[in-house]
Order: sequence, then structure tokens, then C-alpha cells
Amino acid sequence: MKKICFALLSATCLINNINAQIAPVVPSSSSIADASVAVENDWSAFRNTASLAYIDHIELSMQYENHSMIREMSWKSAQAGLNAKYFNIGLSFSYFGYSLYNEMIAGVGFARNFSDKFSMGLQFNYYTAYFSAGEESRYRGALFPQAGISSHILPRLTIGFQAFNPFQAIIKTENSQKRIPTIYSIGTNYEFSKNLVWLTQIDKEVSSDFRFATGFEYTMLRQLTVKLGAYGSDYLVPSIGFGLHLDKLHFNLNGELHPLLGLNTLANLKYRF
Amino acid sequence: MKLKKKTYIVSLICVLTIGVQAQDVRDNTEQIIADIYEQVSEDAETEIDFTSLYEDLIELAENPVNLNNTNKEELEKLQFLSDYQIQNILYYLYKCTPLNSIYELQLIDGLDMTDIRHMLPFVSIGECESKFQKIYMRDLMRYGKNELYMRFDRGLETKEGYRYLPEEDKETSNQNSKKYLGDPFYSYLKYRFHFRNRIQAGYTAEKDAGEQFWGNQHKGYDFYSAYAELKNFGKMKTLVIGDYRANFGQGLVMRTDFSMGKSAYVLQVNPRSGGLKKYSSTNESSFFRGGGITFKLGKTDLTAFYSNKMLDGDTINGSFPTILRDGLHRTNDNLKTKHTVNEQVLGGNISFTHSWFQVGATLVHINLDKSLTPEKNIYNRFYFSGNKQTAGSINYRFRWQKLNFSGETAIMDNYSLATVNSLNFSPVSRVGLVALYRYFSKDYDALYANTFSETSRVNNESGMYIGAEVKPVKFWKLSAYIDSYRFGWPKFGIYAPSIGKDMLIQADYAPKRNVAMLWRFKLEEKSHNFTDTLSTMPVVLSQPKWQARYQLNYSFGRFKFKNQLDVNGFSDGVNTPGYGFSALQDVSYSFLQVPLTLDLRLHIFDAQNFENRIYTYEKDVLYAFSIPMAYGQGTRYYLNMRYDVSRNLSLWIKLAQTVYADDRTTISSSNEEIQGNRKTDFRFLLKWKF
Repeated sequence: MKKICFALLSATCLINNINAQIAPVVPSSSSIADASVAVENDWSAFRNTASLAYIDHIELSMQYENHSMIREMSWKSAQAGLNAKYFNIGLSFSYFGYSLYNEMIAGVGFARNFSDKFSMGLQFNYYTAYFSAGEESRYRGALFPQAGISSHILPRLTIGFQAFNPFQAIIKTENSQKRIPTIYSIGTNYEFSKNLVWLTQIDKEVSSDFRFATGFEYTMLRQLTVKLGAYGSDYLVPSIGFGLHLDKLHFNLNGELHPLLGLNTLANLKYRF
Repeated sequence: MKLKKKTYIVSLICVLTIGVQAQDVRDNTEQIIADIYEQVSEDAETEIDFTSLYEDLIELAENPVNLNNTNKEELEKLQFLSDYQIQNILYYLYKCTPLNSIYELQLIDGLDMTDIRHMLPFVSIGECESKFQKIYMRDLMRYGKNELYMRFDRGLETKEGYRYLPEEDKETSNQNSKKYLGDPFYSYLKYRFHFRNRIQAGYTAEKDAGEQFWGNQHKGYDFYSAYAELKNFGKMKTLVIGDYRANFGQGLVMRTDFSMGKSAYVLQVNPRSGGLKKYSSTNESSFFRGGGITFKLGKTDLTAFYSNKMLDGDTINGSFPTILRDGLHRTNDNLKTKHTVNEQVLGGNISFTHSWFQVGATLVHINLDKSLTPEKNIYNRFYFSGNKQTAGSINYRFRWQKLNFSGETAIMDNYSLATVNSLNFSPVSRVGLVALYRYFSKDYDALYANTFSETSRVNNESGMYIGAEVKPVKFWKLSAYIDSYRFGWPKFGIYAPSIGKDMLIQADYAPKRNVAMLWRFKLEEKSHNFTDTLSTMPVVLSQPKWQARYQLNYSFGRFKFKNQLDVNGFSDGVNTPGYGFSALQDVSYSFLQVPLTLDLRLHIFDAQNFENRIYTYEKDVLYAFSIPMAYGQGTRYYLNMRYDVSRNLSLWIKLAQTVYADDRTTISSSNEEIQGNRKTDFRFLLKWKF
């Protein structure tokens, strides 16, 4: 049993190090190469808070994400967005890990659209981690904010910004402390035409390397979007994906091929009422 | 046809600039300072005092320059205008006075919309009334403005200097004696009276954090300053009594104001002279104490000034190694060096101004009651040593066609020479060019020199600077400079003769009135000692540093946003190059119903080597300038708030925190050391107008 625990923990650490990016707690978005900070038509609770402002119907979504084909390296998340008169409200939840070690994050967000010129969002997240090694209080948690802005600075150009845990909240156990990632993201969304967008993004986790991401999303049919992109930190990771849009139902499937760790996949199902 | 064109342009600008009049003057001023500040601070060896520049602009906003009745000296206070732009404005005014509308500015060669937007808060169109109008006591009482400022700062974490140990033995007693004597509050009190810009008076009292306010070592504030300034009374152009500043020529002999040097304003390389002016800052060293007067006799200005003040220095046997300029008197050791040296300065300037040329001469004599004797080292072998110094200079400026030539040549009593000369011109209105050559001999070391140079000390340097500003197409502006220089004798940290170069290129794009962005790239290659060597001879290596920045400013209604990305790289010539990164988001909002303005910033940085540190300008309380150095890994955020309680009472509050993520357990060192990885600063300022 100990060997299994050790192996799983080692694998988690190794994968996180090699990915050299955002620590496990934050699930990816369904945008190509996770370059979603300036995307306004596809809200992803932990990735572009300000986009919550643009939902005009209630929407629900579920997502499963897996890294390196290891069952324990998977994220299960769900979110719900509610449109309201003055500001929209979002609820979100994500679970990462396995029985011996897991992390959960639950958030409630608020966002407002300012005359379609820009939007601002603020989300409060509660993060908990489960430490099987602790004798008491195995669940430890911390509350922290997440804020985002998305602005149409030029007719075809949108710029997005997000800060996740900007105040560097941490959780403390009896013997150690665990940092919750602090991530700043800035990115652009350039519309070549209504059906072709170019996304770029830089992410910086405060004590990790940068992550650069870029990609194109081409809506070739009303029902089908094809996505191509890549991101890089220590390694360059090509990404590919497609989206199916069947009336109110939207399904996205993305895949990334890490040169060292293999395939990462993401499936997202969204229903807009 | 001409009239039609003029009317069209005037109408167009009217449309474009609606709302600009209401633009917050403070924002405009701060942006100008920010543009200059970061770049200059990076290379500065001491903290730069921007109060004078800031006050000049704020005063101008309160008393805008009447374009129908102005002169070069007034326009030179607009630091964002280049020399050739000022010349063009004066030339246009000479031809077309009086202006009927402020929007005629667009008709002046070399002024674009960005320049005009910058200018608008500081200029007006009025009658050509005399600057020498009689002042009556009743006007003074009725229209004179009184302002009182009170500021408090405090770091919320306790620093090592305030932690006293229980005195059990001689060692702990010894350690306690090195700690700060006072409380951790920084505070000042300022009073200011002004009547237009002709009569001004003020008083300043200040204490730094750690200085004792009331105790056995010291009672009261640590620094007091007072001034009175009168302008344009008959032949008397300026009279200053109390604390004042003096700036003449290009600053080779006398300049106590900040000098712009190399910045993104690539054409502004000539320090503006300005003559005598009041001193109202809290900096405890860059000023004179005494009096000065300038007479205007036709086209000739005649100035004489005298100063007698005490300096700080660690004196031993009638000499001291260096003038201490930080003004910090926090410990017993600091207090021993306070006001130990008397300095007397006597000087004068004569300037003759004609429509196409100006010549002037400056002579300054400094007398110290103790001898300045720097500790001998190879790099400071030619630094000034002794207790008397005399320096004189001739400054000149000519305009011919589109060429502006200006310069100053100075000589000291040791027969050492220094000269700085520049040529700037604008062959067509879209292009501005400047070239500047300077030579400061190794033994030239005038104590109050401050001019265009690579280092803050004006000596041992020669170099050539070329700058260009081009507006190739609509909405775009390109600025660039290159500067190549040589230090003929070793410098501090460079123990051999060396060369260096700087270059900057910047593209500004402003496609809409509410959107502006810039891309900047800067490369600097300078020599430094390589210390990790056992060689007996100094090893000096060329160490390149590059910096890139993207900045985006935009606004929607009462919201203002700013994004900035900075990346840099530095190589010490031997080890693997290091990199620095910083990204920030600013949001400002002015409430409509409540007189409240909020500025919020979120900032992340990762600069693990000191050489990769990044400077970013922050909004702050009025008359405070904040440019924290981002070094290490971490985040910083602040909330800056201005609230106008009433028409006469305003308050500012700033709360800022830096959190490091690089596993450090302490911040800073010695008495400034803080336990933990968080540093929090609080500032409060109250302004009362009556």
C-alpha cells in the first residue's frame, strides 16, 4: 500500500514538474491550448471569470480531464451559470486526485457586462486538500478570490486578464504548508472573421515558468468547430480539438500530446437553456 | 481656402478633444512622470526627487500658461515638449499672436494630437495682459490660496530596527544602541501659500520612519524648511528667500533640479534652466538655504545667490569622506553625522536672450568648513577633494532655420573642462532629430553639476547620443535613440577604462482616443568588474542587459485600465543569462455620485537575480512617488484611494502589500529586516485648502 501511495505521489510530482505550469487544482478550459482568458462566448469558471458576464441563458456544464492516461491524474468538474439583471452568477466545483490525496475547489462568482465594452468578474473560491498522512483535521482549506477583466479594445480585438489567488493564500498543516497556485493570465482574442479566431495567452504561476499558448478556432459549420494550437513552457505541446454544437448542447473534445508524458485529454459537455 | 482649412481643423479638434478638458490633470501629470521616472530610476544611484517636476505641473494646471502672453521659460516647464516644439510654438506665437482658440495648436509644426492632449490642462488662451500687474493687499487676501498637507506612512510589519533586546549583557546593550531611536511612522506637515504664480511661501517639517520625534536624543521634526518667492515685481524677475533651487545653463555647474537624461522622450536631452525657484520638497540635501535674486534688465537677466547650510558627513579630524545625502537620522551613529559640515555657496549668472540666440555665463564658488577627503581608491582618485571649489561656465543657444544648437562649456579651478553640446532639428513636421555630444574630463567634479550623462556624477565620461522621433503614418509614433559612451578612467564597480552603449526603440500606437499602446525595447551594454575571479588584475567584462515592454492603456467611461508586460535578460559575461518577468493589471474608477477615486493594481513578478530587477511606477498619494523594485518571485497589489470630503478637504489612502513566493523567511536586512514573506505599507495624506 505504501509503495502504491509513494508511486502515485511521485507520479503526481513528476508530472506537475514536467508540466512546469499550473498546479493540479485548476482544471483547464475547453479552449484550444487552454488559451481562454480572452474568450467571451465560452465561460470557464476557473479560467475566465469575466466571461460569466456574457452568458444570456442559464447554462450547465460538466468536464472530465485526464493527464498522461493515468486515472489518478484526472479532474472532474462542474459549473452552473445563471444570468441576472445586474450581474450574472456562477457556481463551480472541481475535484482532483484519488482517495489518499485529493484537492477540491468550489467557487461562487459574479460578473457584470458593461455595455458590451468590457466585463469584470470576481469569484470567491474555497479550496480544500485532503492529507491522508495527518492524524487530525485531514481536510485543510482556504478561501481566496479570483478576478478577471475582458475588454473590447478594438473592434476585432479583445484582451483578457485574470488573477487566480492574487493574495497568495496558503493552507497550513501541523508540519508543513501547501501553496495554492497564484496564477496571472493575460491574453488576446483576435477575430479574423466571425468564424475564425486567433487566441494567444501568457500564464505565470508565481513560482513556476511562464506558459505561452496560442491557437486558432475555426467554426467551419454552424455545428462544428475545429481547433489547432500549442502551448509551451519547458516543452512545446501541440493541441488539437473540436467542438460540436447541436442546438443547446455543446460538446468539446481536446487532446494534447506532451512529448514526454504522453496524451492529455479533455471532454466538456455544456447545455445552454 | 486657408480659413476653411483652419476652421475645419479647429472643428475637428474640438470634436476630438471633447472631454479632454475635463481630464484629470493628476492622471496626465502622473503619466508624464511615470514615463520618465522608471527609466531614470533604474540607473540612478540615489533616490530621485520628482517633487519639483510634479509641483511645476500641478501649479501650471492651476495657473495655466497664457499662450498669448508666454515665454520660453514658462513653456520649458512642460517637460514633455521638446526644444524644437517649444521653438516652433514661440515662432508660431510670434507670427500669429493673438491665438483665438487653443485648437490652433494643431497648426504648429511638430505638435501632434498626443502632445496637444498633454498640453491642454496646462495652457489657456487669454488676453495679452501684463505680467507685472500691481498686486493689492485685498486681492492677496481674497485670491491667495492656502494649503495644508499632512502625511503619515507606516510599514505594518515590525522591522528589526524597532525590536529592542532585553539588556542582559554588554553585547545586547551594544546591539540595542544600533537600533532606531524613533517610532516607525514617516510623517510630514506642509503649508503652502500662493497668489497666482507671483507670490509663494511655504513651510515643511518632516521626519523619516525610525527618527525620534520626541525623546532624549531629539525633539521635534528632523527636517524643517521654509521659503518665500516673489516674481515679476518691476525689474525684479525673481526673489527667493529661505530654501530654494538654482538651475543654470545645461547643468554643468549648477543644477539642483532633476535632470531628465535618457528616457522614452528621446528628443528631450537638454536640461531646462529655470533659474532660481522655491524649494518645497522633503529631500534633505538638494537645495540651497539663503537667498537669491534675478533682475531683468531689458534682454539681460542678472542673478546672484548665496547659501549657507549644514551638511551631513562623518567627520574625523576636520575632514569627511563623503557628503551623506539620504537625510536619515535614525540611529545614534546617524545623529553623530548630522549637520557636521557647514557649506557656503555664492554664485551668479548673467544671460542675454535675443530672438534667435541666447548666451549666458555662470560662476559658482563653494566653501566647506571641513575638508572633503574621499577614501582613496582607484576609481575616485580624481574626485573633488578639499574645502573650496570654484566653477564657471558659458552656455549658449542658437536657432538658424530649423536647426537649434545649444550647449554649455565649463571649467573648474583645477582647470578641468566639461562640455555638452546638442543639435536638434525637425526637417519635416513628422520627424524630429537630436544629436548630443558630451565630454567631462576625469578631474572635473563640480559638486552641483547635474546634466545629461550616463551616471549621476558628471565626470570622467565622453559620449555621443542620437535620438529620433518619427510619425510615419497616422496613429503611429516611433522613437529611438542610441548612445555610445566611454569612461576614460576607472569608475565605481569598473576598475579599468571602459566603453558602453545604450539603445532604445519604442513604437506608440494610439488608434482611438481611449486606447493607446506601446512596445519598447532597450538594450544596454556596459562593463563591470567580474568579481568571481582570483586574478590580481581587475577583470572587466561587458555585460549586456535587454528589456522589453508592452503597455496598453484604455478607458471606458469612468473606468481606466492599464496592462503591462515586462521581460528582461542579463548576462554577466560568464554565467548563464538570467531573466526577469513582470505583468500587471491596473483598474481605476472615479465614482459619479461620490467624490471618490479608486486605483487598484495586481502585479506578479519573477526576477530571481538582482540584475533582472524590474521597476514599475505606482499610483500613490499626492506628491508621493513610488517605484518599487520587483526582485525575487512574488506578487504585489495595492489600493489607492482619493476622497474629497468637501471642496476644501481631500484625503488619500494607500495600502500596498508585497508577498514573496521564493521561500524566503525574511525580507531586507539589518535594521530594515522583516520576519516572514509579506511586506505591507500604509500611507495617508490629508490636504486642506483654505
